[in-house]
Amino acid sequence: MIFIAILIGCILGALIGMNAPMISYTYSSYLAIAIIAALDSVFGGITSVINKNFDLKIFATGFFGNAILAILLTILGQKLNVDIYLAAIVVFVGRMFVNLAIIRRHYVDKWSETINKKRSIEKKEQ
Amino acid sequence: MKKDIKKGKITMTITIGIACFCLVLVMFMQFKIVNETDITSIENMKEAELRTELANWKSKYEEADQAYQETQAKIQEYKETKQSNEETEKVVNSELEQINLSLGTTDVEGQGIEIIVRDSEDVEKIKASDLLLIVNSLKLSGAEAISINDNRIINTSDIVDIGNEFIKVNGERILAPYFIKAIGDPAYLESGLIGNGGYVDTMRKIGQDVTINKSNKLKISKYNNEIKTKYIQ
Repeated sequence: MIFIAILIGCILGALIGMNAPMISYTYSSYLAIAIIAALDSVFGGITSVINKNFDLKIFATGFFGNAILAILLTILGQKLNVDIYLAAIVVFVGRMFVNLAIIRRHYVDKWSETINKKRSIEKKEQ
Repeated sequence: MKKDIKKGKITMTITIGIACFCLVLVMFMQFKIVNETDITSIENMKEAELRTELANWKSKYEEADQAYQETQAKIQEYKETKQSNEETEKVVNSELEQINLSLGTTDVEGQGIEIIVRDSEDVEKIKASDLLLIVNSLKLSGAEAISINDNRIINTSDIVDIGNEFIKVNGERILAPYFIKAIGDPAYLESGLIGNGGYVDTMRKIGQDVTINKSNKLKISKYNNEIKTKYIQ
């Protein structure tokens, strides 16, 4: 059911996004940083699912809150003439890599476990 | 319990769906922007960039305009100087001409009188002083140019007797008859010589042969020698 929701959301978003009106290039940097923040939240959510401590409230607030906070920080940075969004990108992308590593390790562990199981079964059979 | 779990799952599904929707929506919008910005880069340029660009062009324009104005002013100045130079040249030229005329370095023409003085046999010979007096009275009557036997009388001209034989004018020997030419008002010049106490009258009374011809077109040649200055500073 969740997969269906994800699929429907992605398709709808893609369709509407493709037909959405052009936004000025001025705001594209805000959108970019919001996307990075949201992706970070998504990977964080997947990691928490793997660790079995997924909380919908934390995920939802993190998803939208991070995006909005990143946008606000970028605006502030532009007002201060400091590229704060660079810091945000470093943090978010760094965390994304960490989460990716956790996810990868989890699945690799699972995979190797199944292989070991198969081997042990084969040995027993022999 | 079952209902609670179901409710939680539904909200979770909806939330994740919305999150996915938002994420993908924004991502595709961003893709679109980035894709199209390359084509119409100027239209979608950041306002700040456009502003700085505009300011750049404005300052460039102002600089160029200022340079143009300066050049224009310079041209105007040059024109004025040129004009004033031309005027000065004209004035100087006319002055030079005038000075040359009065100095006697050019041939001149105009109305005036010609006095012919001949030596008579039974009277005293003509002396330099006679000529000098005639020239003097001509000057008094407003003669502008005088010559004796085509020797122009200038400010440094000398008219002297050499012995009793001949007369020197401008250092050159001249012989009778003496032709004295003077440019000026003919009537004035004549009356200066003939009128009451005029020198020509005196000479004629003695018996000397003096004739005066008026002329409308008298030519007086220029001073032949060089005018040298050594001590005038």
